[in-house]
Amino acid sequence: MEYLGSLILIALGAALINNFVLYYFVGICPFLGVSRRVDMAFGMGCAVTFVISIAAFLSWVFTTFILRPGAPLSNWIWSLVNPGSDTVVDLSILNYLVYIFVIASSVQFVEMYVRKFHPPLYKSFGIFLPLITTNCAILFACLEIMKHVSGVPPAQMWDLGRALTLAIFGGIGFTLAIVLMAGMREELDLCDVPKALRGAGITLIVAGILAMAFMGFTGMDQSLSGLLTG
Amino acid sequence: MLSGEVFLAGGVMAVLAVGMSYVLGWANKAFHVEVDPRVEKAEDILPGANCGGCGYVGCREYAEAVVLEAESVTKCTVGGGSVAAQLGELLGVEVEEAWPYRAVVHCGATTTDRLQQHEYRGEPTCSAANLVTGIQGCIYGCLGMGDCVRACSYDAIHVIDGVALIDYDACTGCGACARICPRNIISMVPFKAEQMMVVSCSNKDTGKDVTAVCKVGCIGCNACARVNDLIQIEDGLAGIDYDQYQPETADFSAALDKCPRESLVLVGKPSEKDLAAVADQDLPDRIEADFKTTVDDTEWRG
Repeated sequence: MEYLGSLILIALGAALINNFVLYYFVGICPFLGVSRRVDMAFGMGCAVTFVISIAAFLSWVFTTFILRPGAPLSNWIWSLVNPGSDTVVDLSILNYLVYIFVIASSVQFVEMYVRKFHPPLYKSFGIFLPLITTNCAILFACLEIMKHVSGVPPAQMWDLGRALTLAIFGGIGFTLAIVLMAGMREELDLCDVPKALRGAGITLIVAGILAMAFMGFTGMDQSLSGLLTG
Repeated sequence: MLSGEVFLAGGVMAVLAVGMSYVLGWANKAFHVEVDPRVEKAEDILPGANCGGCGYVGCREYAEAVVLEAESVTKCTVGGGSVAAQLGELLGVEVEEAWPYRAVVHCGATTTDRLQQHEYRGEPTCSAANLVTGIQGCIYGCLGMGDCVRACSYDAIHVIDGVALIDYDACTGCGACARICPRNIISMVPFKAEQMMVVSCSNKDTGKDVTAVCKVGCIGCNACARVNDLIQIEDGLAGIDYDQYQPETADFSAALDKCPRESLVLVGKPSEKDLAAVADQDLPDRIEADFKTTVDDTEWRG
C-alpha cells in the first residue's frame, strides 16, 4: 500500500504539481514550436511520452548497474582488475554523457524499427522522433531519476517501477500542457493581438499565464503525502 | 588509484560506443526501407517552399505522389513550367504546357463604389466580419480587412482603397489567399500571358439587385457574351472560359466597349507600354508616414 501510495504521489507530482514544462520550464522548444495545432501537439506529446519512457528505462538500468557509487557491474570489473581493493567505484561523473549517448541511439533505433514495421505509426508521429532526441524534458527526467538512484541510501532508492511512473506521467503532463497550449493558440488566431506582440511575444505570455494557473497545484504533494502515508 | 577509475570510465564509454554502433549498424541494414531514389531527385527539383499550393502538405509529399502515385507533374505553382519540365524529364512523361497559376481577386469595387455600407466595429478581420450581415450591401464582394494580406508569404497582395489588389511581380500562385478568403472571391487562374482578362465581380444576383449595392458590379446583362465567345453568363455573372482562352488571338476590345459596368479588367504584370505611360510621373523620393490612427478616421473601412 505504501508502495502504491508513493507511485501515486510520483505520478501526480510529475503530471500536475511539478509539471515538466510549466513548473520546471524544460522542453520549451517543442512546447512552443509544435503547439500551433491541437492534433500536431497531441502527436508531439505522444512521441515525447514514448521516448521519455524508453529513456527512463535505459537511464535507470545504466545508473543502477554501472554509474552510481557502488554499482554492481562497475565494482565487479574493478575487483577483477584490482583484487582485494576496497575502493567504491563511482562513475556518476559520466551521467550526462551516457544519458545523451544512450537516449540518442535508442531513439534512432526505435525510429528505424517503427519505420520498417509500422509505417502508419511512423507517418503520424515518426517525424517528431528526430526532433526530440535528448531534448531537455527527456534529459531532465533522466537526471530526476538519477537523483533518486545515485548516492542515496539503499532503502530510499527508486526501483524501475517508480522511475517508469515518473517518466510516463511526466510525458502525460507534457502532453497535457502542449495540448492546452495548442488549444489556446488556435483560439488566439482569431484574436486581435497588438502588432508588437504577434508571434513569439504573445505565445510566451500565454505560456506564462498557463504556468501561473498550474501554480495552483503547488503544495498539493505535501498534503497528499500526508494523506497517503498516514 | 585515480587513473584506474579514469580507465574504467573510458572503458565504459568505449564499450558503449562500440556496442551501440554495432546495434545501430545492424538495425540500419535489417530495418532498411527501400525508397525510390527518384523521390529524392524529384524533391530536389521542387522549390522546397512547402507552400501547399499543389494540395499536398509539403514538397516531399508532392514528390512522393508524383513518383509513386503518378500524380500530374504540373501542380507546382511556385516552380511553374520549368519545374514541371524537369519532373517530366525525370519520370519520362510528356508534359503538356503548364501555365503558372496566379491569384485573381474577383471584386473590383473600391470603398466609394460600394453602396449600403454600415459602420463595423468588430474584429478587423474578414473571417469575423463575414459573420455579420449588413456591413455592406454586396454579400459577395471583398470586405477589405486583409485576411489575404496576412496569409500571403510573398507580400504580393495589398488592400488598396478597400479592395484586395495583387502584385503580379511578387505573386507565386501558392493559393494561400484563395484558401483564406471567407467569401471565396479569390480564384487561381492559369496565366497564359503576362496579362489576363478577368471578370472583377463575384455577385450572382440579378442586375437590379447588383446596381442597388455596387456601382461597378457585373449585372449579367449579356452584352459581352454576345460579342465574345469566351464569355458566358452563368447565374447572372460573366465568366471567362480559360481552357479556350488563347492570349494571342483573344480580342476583348468589343466586349470591353460593350460592358456598361467596367467589370471586365485586364490584370497582370505591367507591360512596357503601361510603364512608359506613368514614366513621366515623379515618384516621391521619400514617402512620409501618415500618422493618423484609425481612431481619427472612424468612417467605415471595409
